[in-house]
Amino acid sequence: MAWKGKCLKTIIRSDGSQQKKTNDGELIFMTVIIQTNDIVKKYGDVTAVDHVNLSVKEGALFGLLGPNGSGKTTMIKMLTGQTRPTGGTSTVLGIDVEKDPVGVRKLVGIIPEQETPPSFLTSMEYLQFVAAIRKIPDIGKKADWWFDFLDFADKKNVLCKDLSRGTRQKLMFTQAFIHEPTLALIDEPLINFDPIMQDLVKDYLAGYVKKGKTVFISTHILEVAEEICSEFAILHKGRLLHTGTIAELTSKDVHLPAFFLSLVRKDSNA
Amino acid sequence: MPELFWNMMKEEWRVHSTMFGSLSFALFPVMIFGIAFMGSFLLPLMRSSFPSNNLALMIHASYLMLGIMVGGFGLLGNEVMNRRFGQASLLAYSARSLPLSEKFIFANFVIKDTVYYFFLWVFPFGLGFILASPFIGVPLANALLLLLTLTLSFLFGLCTVFFLSTIFARSRQVFWLLVLILCIGLGALAIMTGTNPALLFPPLLLFSSFTWANLLVSGIILVILFGVAIMLFNPESVGSEKIYTNSFAPLMKRLSFLPDPPLATKDTLDMYRSGSMVGQVLFSFLLPLTVIWFFLSLLGPYFPPHGLLFMFAIVTGIIASTIYTWVTMFDTFGPYACLPVSVSRLITGKLTTFSLMQAVPAVFIAVVAILMRESLYLLPAVVLCLAVSFFAVGVMVWLTGLSPNVLVYDVKVMAVYLVLIGIVVTLFTGIAFANPWYALSSVILFLPAWLFMKRALVKWNAVDPGGF
Repeated sequence: MAWKGKCLKTIIRSDGSQQKKTNDGELIFMTVIIQTNDIVKKYGDVTAVDHVNLSVKEGALFGLLGPNGSGKTTMIKMLTGQTRPTGGTSTVLGIDVEKDPVGVRKLVGIIPEQETPPSFLTSMEYLQFVAAIRKIPDIGKKADWWFDFLDFADKKNVLCKDLSRGTRQKLMFTQAFIHEPTLALIDEPLINFDPIMQDLVKDYLAGYVKKGKTVFISTHILEVAEEICSEFAILHKGRLLHTGTIAELTSKDVHLPAFFLSLVRKDSNA
Repeated sequence: MPELFWNMMKEEWRVHSTMFGSLSFALFPVMIFGIAFMGSFLLPLMRSSFPSNNLALMIHASYLMLGIMVGGFGLLGNEVMNRRFGQASLLAYSARSLPLSEKFIFANFVIKDTVYYFFLWVFPFGLGFILASPFIGVPLANALLLLLTLTLSFLFGLCTVFFLSTIFARSRQVFWLLVLILCIGLGALAIMTGTNPALLFPPLLLFSSFTWANLLVSGIILVILFGVAIMLFNPESVGSEKIYTNSFAPLMKRLSFLPDPPLATKDTLDMYRSGSMVGQVLFSFLLPLTVIWFFLSLLGPYFPPHGLLFMFAIVTGIIASTIYTWVTMFDTFGPYACLPVSVSRLITGKLTTFSLMQAVPAVFIAVVAILMRESLYLLPAVVLCLAVSFFAVGVMVWLTGLSPNVLVYDVKVMAVYLVLIGIVVTLFTGIAFANPWYALSSVILFLPAWLFMKRALVKWNAVDPGGF
């Protein structure tokens, strides 16, 4: 990232885009890709997300961090129109998610935490299905590239229900990126991958944002977030405790896991 | 091992209460009790026009059907749960993680189904009748006997499905041979004795005349069906990988005339590869309708000329509407949530597949009309069957969206469904009984069906889709 590690002064413009000025005097124009305003989600008496205001800029590899049950998955569901907020608004790529959830899902790539591909299609057929829905041309070539890249070409014609968890995750990763979306939202991106695959995927994500795309990941694996994310937010009990950049922490010689734990423990004791 | 049994019971309750809401589900047996209790008071009135033997026949047939349906769902349970709740797994499929044999788990599963559904369906009905019996002059012994024979009817349905499906899974040739032998046997019996084989249904025989010998016969048949099912039960081997040649693109090309070819192609492959296409047609359509046919034909004398065909067409239409549950059972909105697909588009896709599958009831009722030598009324019978089916599915989709199973145990939803369907069934039974050709007027039902579907799309698009 051109601006990573530099001190940035932010000017938010009326159209939502941001202009940043580095301490070298360099001007960087950044569009806000995700914006939530006081977003709330309640399930009965339980408040899963509590008045969260979040802003994610174009080109970021953004990590939404939090312990189990902190509201990360609910946030992703709201941002992709899978569930409606109880209050507040959110825009993704300039689209009001509540008004046009399908419009958002047309443009983004999504990997849900738990969902698996349809049981009775093979891996290749599932990608063809995704391509038919998303109207992606040349799916054969693209799919073959992904089968080779994630090393699961031998599972091309295996029914999805018979795939291992790791292979299903590879397939879900493929379906999320095969149309090269401007924004990808991933819930726990590495959880089912072996260390070799984790390394490959981390490199891919780092390269992906270098192309100007944006990746929003939700995870509780802090070491991964520290390694690959440029910006992060910490959620706890549905509330936003902190937003910042990894560079800011690095400049203070603070590691993300330690920072996260102290913040969350403090909040728990408060 | 009682722990397994009790945990399976808890699991079944939690599955249902999660799907339908604890209160709605808890009210279900209360509703069954209420229907039986209040319905019992109508018995003295009905006796004058409708012999109580025939009523007993219909109730036994209904509980036999219930057993068949419960058995069918049990066999598909794991896959259905996975689609509905994500990576869920029933205890019945946990032989991989528990030091228990699959056959032992399966035996517990069948016993659990028996006890659970006894308290859900059979006992409330029996209790309603038992409590009403002093007021309507029915001896308590008869009411208790009904409870026993309804339990046996339910068990016959359950064990028959387990028996047939385990044979079907082992060898399709043996299955078809068995079906052929059974058909020939029943046919021969009917010809030789001049009796409808349905009258020889053991629980019914037991109900009409209780003897210990009759009870023993019922018990022995059940033990044989259950024992053979356990012996032949062969769960899918762990870790096996099914490999298929790519069929998606060619099939989608063939289905390109449909409004949403990708969704229709996926549904078709889902149904074919899950075994639903053959299995469901056999166990959820042909088998129940064959059973209904035997029992309904006994009521033939109470119908006007040609009435049996049209009554059967209406029943077939209602059973045909449940094809919608076949096309939704392996799907929640979950796998589509990462794609630009709205709930309304998904429902439309399911209805398209449902419409294609309506060829099955149409052909079925046409064949029945021909076999009954009522070919003249083939057209009105087919139209009536399809019109009822589309109307019923319209109501079902409006009420339940992508989760038609809700219909079964959510008392409020079921009540609305029964009222709406009841009105139509009563009306068109009367019309078809008045003149067979009037049944063609049922074509008008496609209009409310379409309106219900249209409203359903708006309604369910505005609701957070469940299941993810």
